[in-house]
Amino acid sequence: MASQINTPLLRRPGVQAPLLLFPAIAVYAVFAVYPLIDVFVVSFQQWNGIAPERVWVGLDNYSAALFRDPVFHVALRNTAIWTVLSMIFPPLVGLVLALALNQPIFGRGLLRTVFYLPVIIASIGVATIWRWMYDPFFGAVNAVLNGVGVDVGMRDWLGDQDIALYSIFVAYVWQNAGASMVLFLAGLQGVDKSLVEAARIDGARRWNVFRHVTFPALRPVLTIVIVLSIINSLRAFDIVYGMTKGGPAQATQMLALWAFTQSMQIFEFGRGAAISVMLLVITAAIVIPYLTWMRRLEARGGR
Amino acid sequence: MLRVKKWKAVALAGGVAAMAVSAAQAEELRFWTLAFASESATIAFNEMVAAFESSHPGVDIIVETRGVDEHKTALRLAAQAGQGPDIYFSWSGLGQSGEYITAGLSEPMERYYQQFGWYDQYEPAALAFAMHDANGEIHGVPFSMNGEAIYYNKALFEQAGITAEPQTWDELIAANDALVAAGIAPWTFGGSVNWHLMRLMDVIMEHECGAETHDALTSLTANWAEEPCVTASFVELKRWADNYILTPFMGIGQEQSFNLFVAGRAAMMLEGDWLVGQLDQNGVLDAYDVFAFPTDTGRLYGFGQYYYISAYSQNKDLAAEFLDFLNNAENSQKYLGNAGVMSMNRNVTYSYERDLENQWLEIFQSHDEIFMNSDLPLSLAQTNEYFRIHNSVADGSMAPEEAGAAFQSFVDANP
Repeated sequence: MASQINTPLLRRPGVQAPLLLFPAIAVYAVFAVYPLIDVFVVSFQQWNGIAPERVWVGLDNYSAALFRDPVFHVALRNTAIWTVLSMIFPPLVGLVLALALNQPIFGRGLLRTVFYLPVIIASIGVATIWRWMYDPFFGAVNAVLNGVGVDVGMRDWLGDQDIALYSIFVAYVWQNAGASMVLFLAGLQGVDKSLVEAARIDGARRWNVFRHVTFPALRPVLTIVIVLSIINSLRAFDIVYGMTKGGPAQATQMLALWAFTQSMQIFEFGRGAAISVMLLVITAAIVIPYLTWMRRLEARGGR
Repeated sequence: MLRVKKWKAVALAGGVAAMAVSAAQAEELRFWTLAFASESATIAFNEMVAAFESSHPGVDIIVETRGVDEHKTALRLAAQAGQGPDIYFSWSGLGQSGEYITAGLSEPMERYYQQFGWYDQYEPAALAFAMHDANGEIHGVPFSMNGEAIYYNKALFEQAGITAEPQTWDELIAANDALVAAGIAPWTFGGSVNWHLMRLMDVIMEHECGAETHDALTSLTANWAEEPCVTASFVELKRWADNYILTPFMGIGQEQSFNLFVAGRAAMMLEGDWLVGQLDQNGVLDAYDVFAFPTDTGRLYGFGQYYYISAYSQNKDLAAEFLDFLNNAENSQKYLGNAGVMSMNRNVTYSYERDLENQWLEIFQSHDEIFMNSDLPLSLAQTNEYFRIHNSVADGSMAPEEAGAAFQSFVDANP
């Protein structure tokens, strides 16, 4: 039977490759390409999910989100803030942890596991843990801060519009810094030890060794970490949903969550789709130029 | 030959069995509802399902319970596929079951009301919540009628020198002030679940606007930007948030506010008749009494919950028969109190052991009219914006004077 299939025709790369690729392409087409196209089409329609017909409304869903929706701009602003913070803090904390845990210290393996552990906890679990820690009456955060002499009283970390977004972000950093740490640790294994030794023999101090030897070697990893941070931050959803559901008064609303809310809670599928398409465009507009820039930088040898 | 006959017999038996299975599948009823409020309600429902199945051989009732959002989403996803349950739960209101009726997903039930005599069987007050379609046909049958009123901590009232339950708005404000003067937070609300604070806004608006204008506002036939009572209501909401509610409250949910209430951190809570069971579970039943919120309009605050037969159901007659079974006099009497203090069947005899349930019964029986929670008549998008606005007023990020106009502007821009 095998010899019957193994015909000369099937041995040709031009035939073999499409055959082998077909299952993966089919799955990708059904679960990624088709939904993408459908979201794009729905973004031009008005549909509540139960009406028998979808009404074609042109660009109305986009203009509604941009000009008639008081929450969209809050979500856009929050997403921008979140993205900028995400590009800085989880990678920075991850890098510091990786540098520290790359040293030959006692319990290094255990500490690496401990710092990575939050990554494998489901976001909704992280949200539940932190929501209880932030509880103004019985939470650990207020208790600890008051206990060490920082008088915060019964601070409403998730109910105060001025700080709620940042309170969630702290939980997000706690959850995600471990992922950056692992990537940086992998990158640190690729740093040429002979270059480090040579720099030290030449009298370079620890900071200069990091700046001129270690950091340039980490640049490809840094690119990956930053791009992943941007993409993850732009689609930030679960942890915000779990902690505040976008409240208080939509003050912690994010674009991805608002798209979900419009589609799956308000059942304005057209508006949800329009917001999703705008989010996709924003993501592409940030990530593609950044990747292009980094690729050129690497091609020029990092200068 | 014998062997052939044997095989024929086996094949025949198999065929009969397959037909039997097929018939049994045709008698399957899919029942989608919310998770029941208490263990006793769950047990009661399961017993009724088992009793119906045993009296109807071959009928299989598949009960699926979900959370609120999951239930709404599941109904829509099922509708897209042209499938779904035979019977589903929904709140009665234009923004809730009204949407399904408009979309043709709900079966008109006039013929069943006539067949089973439901107009004579159900409590008129419960039927008052019923939704009708464009042809005037009634949809759904009542599952429960819930009232929301003021539960209060008797010891804290006594501590503040309050000797009688407030019967008017002014007396309630006086009670609030007396509690504050005694160093007791009068109220607890959970701001993170929007509908909890909405209850306060609803009763304030009922008081400030009066019954007729309040109804006109929630049905959007009156203009929120032009009715002076709207601004007065938001001003009052802000005053309550600043002075009468245990703070902080915007970051906590209803469950946490209940914990604080039970812990004696606040004196009053605006909750439904379902809270009696929860207080009982916490072993603090005797510490609380309940009275209707004195809005001065004479109407009780509450809402109706219904079961509807899906237009997609292949077993509508059986579904109607099951609904009749759930609310017949025998089951209503046997499981009295499990779906709310008020039975949907008018032929039951009330005999509650828990004093709070008797107090609730008195509240229901002393009110002829009910005003609904405002998230029921409003659309989901309008409700979402309404939540944002009243929360913003409560936490001080929006001036009360801007709130009515902000909501009307959203309604006008998003018809």
